[in-house]
Amino acid sequence: MSEKPEKKKIASEDVEELKEVLSAVSTEVPALIKSIIASVFSEEAGRNMGKAAAAFYKELKDSGMPDNVAVKMTEDYIGVFTSLGDILKRVGEGKEKVIITRGEKGKEIEEEIERRIKEKLAEKKKTEAEEEEE
Amino acid sequence: MGKTRSLLIISVFSSAVSVIRLLGSLAVIYLGLGWKVRKARRALEKELRKAGMSKEDARRIGAQYTALKDNAVKAIKRSVTGFRFS
Repeated sequence: MSEKPEKKKIASEDVEELKEVLSAVSTEVPALIKSIIASVFSEEAGRNMGKAAAAFYKELKDSGMPDNVAVKMTEDYIGVFTSLGDILKRVGEGKEKVIITRGEKGKEIEEEIERRIKEKLAEKKKTEAEEEEE
Repeated sequence: MGKTRSLLIISVFSSAVSVIRLLGSLAVIYLGLGWKVRKARRALEKELRKAGMSKEDARRIGAQYTALKDNAVKAIKRSVTGFRFS
Protein backbone atom coordinates (compact mmCIF):
# COMPACT_ATOMS: atom_id res chain seq x y z
CA MET A 1 0.00 0.00 0.00
CA SER A 2 2.76 2.42 0.91
CA GLU A 3 4.54 1.79 -2.41
CA LYS A 4 2.17 3.93 -4.45
CA PRO A 5 2.82 7.28 -2.70
CA GLU A 6 6.54 6.48 -2.79
CA LYS A 7 6.43 5.91 -6.56
CA LYS A 8 4.42 9.09 -7.07
CA LYS A 9 6.95 11.04 -5.03
CA ILE A 10 9.82 9.70 -7.14
CA ALA A 11 7.93 10.50 -10.36
CA SER A 12 7.23 14.07 -9.26
CA GLU A 13 10.88 14.48 -8.30
CA ASP A 14 11.91 13.25 -11.75
CA VAL A 15 9.56 15.68 -13.47
CA GLU A 16 10.87 18.49 -11.29
CA GLU A 17 14.42 17.54 -12.23
CA LEU A 18 13.53 17.38 -15.93
CA LYS A 19 11.96 20.83 -15.66
CA GLU A 20 15.15 22.25 -14.20
CA VAL A 21 17.33 20.56 -16.83
CA LEU A 22 15.17 21.80 -19.70
CA SER A 23 15.11 25.29 -18.24
CA ALA A 24 18.92 25.33 -18.09
CA VAL A 25 19.29 23.82 -21.57
CA SER A 26 16.86 26.29 -23.14
CA THR A 27 18.95 29.23 -21.91
CA GLU A 28 22.46 27.82 -22.18
CA VAL A 29 22.38 25.99 -25.54
CA PRO A 30 21.21 28.96 -27.67
CA ALA A 31 23.81 31.19 -25.98
CA LEU A 32 26.52 28.64 -26.73
CA ILE A 33 25.48 28.26 -30.37
CA LYS A 34 25.23 32.04 -30.74
CA SER A 35 28.77 32.53 -29.48
CA ILE A 36 30.13 29.78 -31.77
CA ILE A 37 28.37 31.31 -34.77
CA ALA A 38 29.56 34.81 -33.84
CA SER A 39 33.16 33.63 -33.79
CA VAL A 40 32.97 32.27 -37.36
CA PHE A 41 30.08 34.03 -39.09
CA SER A 42 30.25 37.68 -38.14
CA GLU A 43 31.19 40.86 -39.96
CA GLU A 44 34.29 41.15 -37.80
CA ALA A 45 35.35 37.56 -38.52
CA GLY A 46 34.77 38.09 -42.25
CA ARG A 47 36.77 41.30 -42.20
CA ASN A 48 39.65 39.63 -40.35
CA MET A 49 39.64 36.69 -42.73
CA GLY A 50 39.52 39.11 -45.65
CA LYS A 51 42.43 41.08 -44.24
CA ALA A 52 44.50 37.91 -43.89
CA ALA A 53 43.64 36.78 -47.42
CA ALA A 54 44.27 40.28 -48.81
CA ALA A 55 47.69 40.44 -47.16
CA PHE A 56 48.49 37.01 -48.57
CA TYR A 57 47.37 38.06 -52.06
CA LYS A 58 49.28 41.34 -51.85
CA GLU A 59 52.48 39.57 -50.83
CA LEU A 60 52.16 37.16 -53.73
CA LYS A 61 51.56 39.98 -56.18
CA ASP A 62 54.45 42.02 -54.80
CA SER A 63 56.79 39.07 -55.19
CA GLY A 64 55.96 38.98 -58.91
CA MET A 65 53.45 36.15 -59.01
CA PRO A 66 51.05 36.22 -62.01
CA ASP A 67 47.55 37.40 -61.10
CA ASN A 68 45.74 34.14 -61.88
CA VAL A 69 48.20 32.10 -59.79
CA ALA A 70 47.95 34.56 -56.90
CA VAL A 71 44.13 34.38 -57.02
CA LYS A 72 44.22 30.57 -57.13
CA MET A 73 46.56 30.44 -54.15
CA THR A 74 44.40 32.90 -52.20
CA GLU A 75 41.38 30.75 -53.03
CA ASP A 76 43.20 27.72 -51.65
CA TYR A 77 44.15 29.72 -48.58
CA ILE A 78 40.51 30.58 -47.88
CA GLY A 79 39.59 27.01 -48.89
CA VAL A 80 41.25 25.75 -45.72
CA PHE A 81 38.22 27.04 -43.81
CA THR A 82 35.84 25.43 -46.27
CA SER A 83 37.60 22.11 -45.89
CA LEU A 84 36.97 22.48 -42.18
CA GLY A 85 33.31 22.62 -43.15
CA ASP A 86 33.77 19.43 -45.19
CA ILE A 87 35.14 17.67 -42.14
CA LEU A 88 32.09 18.82 -40.19
CA LYS A 89 29.89 17.54 -43.00
CA ARG A 90 31.55 14.12 -42.93
CA VAL A 91 31.21 13.92 -39.17
CA GLY A 92 27.54 14.84 -39.52
CA GLU A 93 26.99 12.19 -42.17
CA GLY A 94 28.67 9.62 -40.00
CA LYS A 95 29.65 7.73 -43.14
CA GLU A 96 33.31 8.35 -42.77
CA LYS A 97 35.07 8.27 -39.49
CA VAL A 98 37.45 11.12 -38.96
CA ILE A 99 40.36 9.41 -37.33
CA ILE A 100 43.75 10.93 -37.04
CA THR A 101 46.01 8.05 -37.87
CA ARG A 102 49.68 8.14 -37.39
CA GLY A 103 50.41 6.29 -40.62
CA GLU A 104 53.86 5.39 -41.96
CA LYS A 105 55.18 8.90 -41.67
CA GLY A 106 54.03 9.16 -38.07
CA LYS A 107 55.79 5.91 -37.25
CA GLU A 108 58.98 7.13 -38.87
CA ILE A 109 58.84 10.35 -36.84
CA GLU A 110 58.17 8.35 -33.68
CA GLU A 111 61.18 6.11 -34.34
CA GLU A 112 63.35 9.12 -35.11
CA ILE A 113 62.34 10.83 -31.84
CA GLU A 114 62.97 7.62 -29.90
CA ARG A 115 66.40 7.22 -31.50
CA ARG A 116 67.37 10.81 -30.75
CA ILE A 117 66.22 10.56 -27.13
CA LYS A 118 68.28 7.39 -26.71
CA GLU A 119 71.28 9.11 -28.26
CA LYS A 120 70.91 12.09 -25.93
CA LEU A 121 70.56 9.85 -22.89
CA ALA A 122 73.63 7.85 -23.88
CA GLU A 123 75.57 11.06 -24.41
CA LYS A 124 74.50 12.36 -21.03
CA LYS A 125 75.50 9.13 -19.30
CA LYS A 126 78.84 9.21 -21.04
CA THR A 127 79.61 12.79 -19.91
CA GLU A 128 78.51 11.96 -16.37
CA ALA A 129 80.81 8.95 -16.30
CA GLU A 130 83.69 11.03 -17.62
CA GLU A 131 83.04 13.70 -14.97
CA GLU A 132 83.05 11.03 -12.24
CA GLU A 133 86.33 9.59 -13.50
CA GLU A 134 87.92 13.02 -13.38
CA MET B 1 -2.62 14.24 -3.55
CA GLY B 2 -4.25 17.16 -5.31
CA LYS B 3 -1.26 19.30 -4.48
CA THR B 4 1.18 16.76 -5.97
CA ARG B 5 -0.86 16.52 -9.13
CA SER B 6 -1.01 20.28 -9.59
CA LEU B 7 2.75 20.51 -9.00
CA LEU B 8 3.24 17.80 -11.62
CA ILE B 9 1.07 19.67 -14.11
CA ILE B 10 2.99 22.90 -13.48
CA SER B 11 6.30 21.08 -13.97
CA VAL B 12 5.17 19.50 -17.23
CA PHE B 13 3.83 22.84 -18.45
CA SER B 14 7.06 24.70 -17.62
CA SER B 15 9.07 21.92 -19.32
CA ALA B 16 6.99 22.39 -22.46
CA VAL B 17 7.58 26.15 -22.26
CA SER B 18 11.33 25.53 -22.00
CA VAL B 19 11.29 23.27 -25.06
CA ILE B 20 9.28 25.82 -27.06
CA ARG B 21 11.66 28.57 -25.96
CA LEU B 22 14.66 26.45 -27.02
CA LEU B 23 13.15 25.72 -30.43
CA GLY B 24 12.25 29.38 -30.88
CA SER B 25 15.80 30.48 -30.05
CA LEU B 26 17.23 27.94 -32.50
CA ALA B 27 14.85 29.15 -35.22
CA VAL B 28 15.89 32.78 -34.61
CA ILE B 29 19.57 31.77 -34.76
CA TYR B 30 18.98 29.87 -38.02
CA LEU B 31 17.13 32.79 -39.61
CA GLY B 32 19.79 35.29 -38.53
CA LEU B 33 22.62 33.12 -39.78
CA GLY B 34 22.04 33.89 -43.47
CA TRP B 35 22.13 37.61 -42.80
CA LYS B 36 25.31 37.32 -40.73
CA VAL B 37 27.02 35.26 -43.42
CA ARG B 38 26.05 37.83 -46.08
CA LYS B 39 27.55 40.64 -44.01
CA ALA B 40 30.72 38.63 -43.32
CA ARG B 41 31.05 37.74 -46.99
CA ARG B 42 30.69 41.37 -48.04
CA ALA B 43 33.35 42.42 -45.52
CA LEU B 44 35.68 39.71 -46.83
CA GLU B 45 35.13 40.74 -50.45
CA LYS B 46 35.66 44.39 -49.57
CA GLU B 47 39.03 43.62 -48.01
CA LEU B 48 40.09 41.56 -51.02
CA ARG B 49 39.08 44.34 -53.40
CA LYS B 50 41.07 46.81 -51.32
CA ALA B 51 44.14 44.65 -52.01
CA GLY B 52 43.55 45.07 -55.74
CA MET B 53 41.68 41.89 -56.58
CA SER B 54 39.07 41.98 -59.34
CA LYS B 55 35.38 41.93 -58.42
CA GLU B 56 34.76 38.50 -59.99
CA ASP B 57 37.69 36.87 -58.20
CA ALA B 58 36.68 38.42 -54.89
CA ARG B 59 33.14 37.11 -55.37
CA ARG B 60 34.41 33.63 -56.19
CA ILE B 61 36.52 33.56 -53.04
CA GLY B 62 33.63 34.98 -51.01
CA ALA B 63 31.41 32.15 -52.24
CA GLN B 64 33.59 29.71 -50.30
CA TYR B 65 32.50 31.44 -47.12
CA THR B 66 28.88 30.66 -47.95
CA ALA B 67 29.89 27.08 -48.73
CA LEU B 68 31.33 26.82 -45.24
CA LYS B 69 28.00 27.91 -43.76
CA ASP B 70 26.09 25.45 -45.95
CA ASN B 71 28.33 22.59 -44.89
CA ALA B 72 28.03 23.49 -41.21
CA VAL B 73 24.23 23.70 -41.43
CA LYS B 74 24.05 20.39 -43.33
CA ALA B 75 26.25 18.73 -40.72
CA ILE B 76 24.03 19.99 -37.89
CA LYS B 77 20.86 18.93 -39.73
CA ARG B 78 22.24 15.47 -40.41
CA SER B 79 23.39 15.01 -36.84
CA VAL B 80 19.95 16.03 -35.57
CA THR B 81 17.93 13.93 -38.03
CA GLY B 82 20.32 11.00 -37.72
CA PHE B 83 20.01 10.92 -33.95
CA ARG B 84 18.45 7.69 -32.74
CA PHE B 85 17.82 6.36 -29.29
CA SER B 86 19.72 3.14 -28.92
